[in-house]
Amino acid sequence: MEIRRYPILAYALVPLAALVLQAWLPRVAGRYAWFDLPLVVTVYFALGRRSPIQGTLMGAAMGLFEDALTHHAIGVNGIAKTAVGFLAASVGIRIDVENHTIRLLLSFLLSLLSSVIVVFVSHFLLGLDLEWNWYTMLYTAIVNAVIALFLFPLLDRLQVRE
Amino acid sequence: MESFLVRYRNLLVLLSILLAQIIGLATQVHRTGEGRNTLDAGDLPSVRLIRLWANALVSPPEQMIHSTKMGAGWLWQNYIDLRNVRQQNGDLQKTIDRLRLEQAALLEDARQGERLQGLLKFQEKYIYKTVAAQAIGSSGSEQSRVVYIDKGSADGLARDMAVITPEGIVGKVRDVFPHTAQVLAIDDQTSGAGVILETTRIRGILRGNANGQPQIVDILADKRIQKGESVLTAGGDDIFPRGLAVGVVDQVVPDPDRDGFINITVTPAAHLDRLDEVLIITSTEPRFSEQQQQDIATSETEKKQEAAALAEQRKASEIMAERLPGLIDPNLPHDEQPLYDSSNPIQVARPPQALHPDRFTPGAVAAAAGAFSGDDSSVEKQKTTPEADSAPGADSATPPPAKPQPRPASPVKPAGTAAESKPNRSTGVESQPPAPPQDQPRRNP
Repeated sequence: MEIRRYPILAYALVPLAALVLQAWLPRVAGRYAWFDLPLVVTVYFALGRRSPIQGTLMGAAMGLFEDALTHHAIGVNGIAKTAVGFLAASVGIRIDVENHTIRLLLSFLLSLLSSVIVVFVSHFLLGLDLEWNWYTMLYTAIVNAVIALFLFPLLDRLQVRE
Repeated sequence: MESFLVRYRNLLVLLSILLAQIIGLATQVHRTGEGRNTLDAGDLPSVRLIRLWANALVSPPEQMIHSTKMGAGWLWQNYIDLRNVRQQNGDLQKTIDRLRLEQAALLEDARQGERLQGLLKFQEKYIYKTVAAQAIGSSGSEQSRVVYIDKGSADGLARDMAVITPEGIVGKVRDVFPHTAQVLAIDDQTSGAGVILETTRIRGILRGNANGQPQIVDILADKRIQKGESVLTAGGDDIFPRGLAVGVVDQVVPDPDRDGFINITVTPAAHLDRLDEVLIITSTEPRFSEQQQQDIATSETEKKQEAAALAEQRKASEIMAERLPGLIDPNLPHDEQPLYDSSNPIQVARPPQALHPDRFTPGAVAAAAGAFSGDDSSVEKQKTTPEADSAPGADSATPPPAKPQPRPASPVKPAGTAAESKPNRSTGVESQPPAPPQDQPRRNP
């Protein structure tokens, strides 16, 4: 299977743009900001690079960065996205991820998995008394899948062709 | 061993990263006395460093985006959409001048109120100084409802300062960086603000729920709480001054965990989803600016001048009263009062005598003791006695009263007979003989 390569700047700027937009767009979208752009970018690079270690590292970095912008403990999103990055890269090794349907399904399932891990870590591992809205998680997973459907082809243009 | 590491390299990297993060999490959580786990109120130095880095990386692009947006808006408002601005400016300047004087008076009242409250050991906070800031970003997470603003410790911000808008409260400053600050909104689950319902005066704690809506929790069920009731800050949390608008009651739902308790969902007064400009209350102590102090001094001077002018007027009138002769001296007997002194060139004016006195003439009507009721006999031929006319101090030049004319008989029958013929001492009027009975035909005068 083909391993995609990207310019160095793409590895730096795309995740940064995703983090900045994730922090800024909720001010525009209000309470309907049901998306997780860092997660979508993590999934994309993990699937494209097909390297579990790189997927893990990128997921961990993105998750920790997201945690740092919240007022919660640092590491909750880090653990979730670390697992997502690892799984996405592991799946990318075995199946063809060029197919749009597979991309849609993978983004949806990995988003749900990320939310579930966040709940598990917060509620069971840390024992924090926080409430969760499962519908919001479902909506977020759907919107992430739709965003991935349009964003992945755009990011594909950044890859280095040999 | 080497082949093991190579073979399970991916898994080992994953496990090591997960383990490091779990250990990191464990250092940030502690157990309370009630047996509940909670996050530390203040971040550890290492955690704060990570937050600082993340903020330093994200804030500049966010500020750039925000500045671009504001710049476009500014360009439109200040260059394109300028009509009647000069006229408005003049009107506003007049309003400012008027409001400044009013504000000076109000500040004086507030200061006096604080002094009185201090005497009564009653702690009340007033908003004396605020810093305006722009909201530039958020956490980007549904579970963490924080807002980033473009002012930080360099602008005088500190942790736990209240953040408000003219519509209502927004939250409190949670973390402060050099040029930005993190504001924890009131709709976050970990926030808390003391509030009071305006009408029913029920107090509670406001915090966010899972849907991102603020709600008042731990309230005993009360049927008086109705939708639309205003919610204000209670002022007991040492963050928000008392009486600020929080929102209105949206929904009253029973607490699913405890019988007899309710949760009140509140629609926030401030637009928490679309915050733009906010105010941070940096001081609740009276610190007046130079201009305000000058206005207060001017106002106080004017008040003193008015009081001095009033006192001077009062003093002048007292002196004038002392110099003028009094008409009634409380130390003298009645007969020797200056009012009745005939040598006084200024005679007391008296009403002239009637040329044709009738029963409506002053002093012509008998007193209640001598009054009659009933038929014609009550009509008396009134006679004005000489004593009545020769009252002390009366004008000697006053002509004698005219002789009373005969009057038609009244159909009312007199109540008594003996007393009626006696002259009335108080009025000097003698009672007339009784008129014929009512059954007799009336005599035409």
